[in-house]
Amino acid sequence: MVPLLTLFGGLTQHRAHATSLAAIIPIAAVSAGAFAAADQVDYAVAAALALGAIFGAPLGARIMAGAGEGALKTMFGLLLLVVSVQLLWS
Amino acid sequence: MSVLLLLGIAAAGILVGVTSAMFGVGGGIIMVPFMVLALDKTQHIAEGTSLLVIIPTAIVGVIFHRRRNLVDFPHAAAMAAGGTFGAYAGAAAALRLDGETLQVIFGGFLAVIALRTVRDGIRDMRSGSKSGSAT
Repeated sequence: MVPLLTLFGGLTQHRAHATSLAAIIPIAAVSAGAFAAADQVDYAVAAALALGAIFGAPLGARIMAGAGEGALKTMFGLLLLVVSVQLLWS
Repeated sequence: MSVLLLLGIAAAGILVGVTSAMFGVGGGIIMVPFMVLALDKTQHIAEGTSLLVIIPTAIVGVIFHRRRNLVDFPHAAAMAAGGTFGAYAGAAAALRLDGETLQVIFGGFLAVIALRTVRDGIRDMRSGSKSGSAT
């Protein structure tokens, strides 16, 4: 979604990240619902992960705000590279 | 599960939250391998669990991004509408292709986008522009 927003939506890298995060909420909710219905959720692990994540998120937001546009874009590109390598190598 | 294990998982969760808010992603990229490799969960349970975690994680991230006026809600709504529709359509299409083919196609496509993004990002850093280009 982030590249779609920067390439076609004309958003800056920072706004693309923030906007994509907002879009993810309902998408994840619908998908999580399907998995929960199929009993494919470990609620204890989810709670523990979420506990840490809600503390990490404000920190991540601050780091993002402090990063320059180019630096953020480069880091995001590297993240995408890691994901693509993970997909191609398995 | 032991309290120590739960605390360890919460610690991993911190990294998930940082990544999610910083990059506008769900964090599944960290959570799914973590649950499969470190916690020995099945792929399906790892995916389902990570999707559930993404909800509060993304909500908190958006709250903090919103305070800095960074969230474009009209664009987010459009992407969310397309995304939920796409999830159904994509699942139907995916079931017709074998998993390996899908991974290679998507992985290759993503690699191209990744390299282009890194290239543009480095170019932006070199030019020293703060607002950056829209690509």
